[in-house]
Amino acid sequence: MNNGEKRIIPLTEGLYTLPASPDEKPHLIGSRCINCNELYFPKKEKGLCIHCQQKTLEEVELSRQGKIASFTIVLQPPAGGFYHGPVPYAYGYVDLPEGVRVETQFTGNFNNLEIDGDVEMVIEKLYENAEGDEFVTYKFKPLKEQK
Amino acid sequence: MKPLNEMREVAVGGIGVTKWGFYENAEWFDFGSEAILNALKDAGMEWKDIQAAFCGSVYQGTGSGHQAIKEIGLTGIPIVNVENACSSCASAFRLAYQTVAAEIYDIVLAVGMEKMPRGPIPSTAFRPWELKLGFNVQPANYANIAVQYMEKTGATIEDFSMVTVKNRRHGTLNPNARFQKPVTLEEVLNSRLVATPLRLLHCCPLADGAAAFILCSKNKLKSKHKAVTVAASTLTSGVYGEGYPPADLTPSLKYPAAMSLTELSAKQAYEIADCGPENIDVVQAYDTMAPAELWDLEELGFCKPGEAPHLLREGVFDLNGRIPVNTDGGLMSRGHPLGATAGGQIYEIVLQLRGQAGPRQVKDAKVGLAHAMGAGPNSAVTIFKC
Ligand SMILES: [Zn+2]
Repeated sequence: MNNGEKRIIPLTEGLYTLPASPDEKPHLIGSRCINCNELYFPKKEKGLCIHCQQKTLEEVELSRQGKIASFTIVLQPPAGGFYHGPVPYAYGYVDLPEGVRVETQFTGNFNNLEIDGDVEMVIEKLYENAEGDEFVTYKFKPLKEQK
Repeated sequence: MKPLNEMREVAVGGIGVTKWGFYENAEWFDFGSEAILNALKDAGMEWKDIQAAFCGSVYQGTGSGHQAIKEIGLTGIPIVNVENACSSCASAFRLAYQTVAAEIYDIVLAVGMEKMPRGPIPSTAFRPWELKLGFNVQPANYANIAVQYMEKTGATIEDFSMVTVKNRRHGTLNPNARFQKPVTLEEVLNSRLVATPLRLLHCCPLADGAAAFILCSKNKLKSKHKAVTVAASTLTSGVYGEGYPPADLTPSLKYPAAMSLTELSAKQAYEIADCGPENIDVVQAYDTMAPAELWDLEELGFCKPGEAPHLLREGVFDLNGRIPVNTDGGLMSRGHPLGATAGGQIYEIVLQLRGQAGPRQVKDAKVGLAHAMGAGPNSAVTIFKC
């Protein structure tokens, strides 16, 4: 342990904004094309729109709520040794109201997952390393169980 | 661009294949060269007749085709290696076909070969952050398509399981298949859950092996086999807006694809071959996961969207049905040697059109279609006539 201080480390930089205060909420960061209006998640680092091929992308904060397009409960660990989270885990897609589909893990009670079900984006631990550091990621959670 | 149907006709001079399985004491160049020699013998040709070689593989590394050909002998011909994921052999085949059609060469070799890496294989289609989030489990990628297909069409897990049962039944008649034992519906439904709702027996097994083809102009044919010609060979490598989780593609909600990559490659192939799905007598569809065969048949135009499960239950896709599908057992029985997989499909279609498929022969098969897909994404459609 780091003098008893547990570090919280984003699994990947640049995917979402971290709340600066408890009143703020995290948002996924995407790209919007000001030429053709296409939306992307994650944001396109090169700023090039892969739909209209113009360098007309701007960074946008995406909606925190959406609907489940599809999901699966994965019972087989992913290959390659890159994944250190729990198995089983829920993985699928969420449609956000502004018109972009997001690939994601789901959290909460898997029994509450259903196609078209309402979900909200949260930041949550994926795993903890041997030093006790927490690696966190965005996930989507069914609204149903938050009531 | 000259229309392909105005180019020289290309015939299949010879075909060769190895048994599909696990070769613990052999490398890809061993069974790759075996398949080439089998094709040469089948063609009744000499090694020095071959004017160019296109060699498909995925995991064998640099110069893998050269390694196989060195086992037979270098002769000064160009050797080109083709890596195009699960469509590698279809892509190599297409290049061979094009160079003969364009009258650049008269006799060309296409080969697909693979010794699958042992242990789990991480897909290179995914970016590092996606690998950290566990997005790279192929059955889970397909499960996401499958649940949307179920929602849209009312297809059930029994329907998916019946694809496995049908293909494994066909595989009992294929002495080259990795699995030649049938499975029951109960066995599929009780196999280990991998990614809901898909189970182990909805996933095709892996395998090693090779398939080789000699393509030539009709005047160069030497064998006594019934002449089979390549009516079309198309390749579509992705369209904007289509979602395809196995290739890490999320669909665009604002600009969805008007036509999927499978639909586009099929449309182009039917146009070039001057036929439609109603003219196809035998089909090798892409059954890397059992449910995929169903939407594959729909996108290839064999029935309307959502109709395939119903037709499957009616026996339409059985060996003796109206549209026999995966007559050699498909990937479910042969196994999936990535760089050779499309070659296994093509081999079966040529065998069927020649009338040499033995106990699994489709009566009066005159036109056949093979469809390979996979990461990239790629969709390769090859149509044959006799
Ligand atoms: Zn744009």
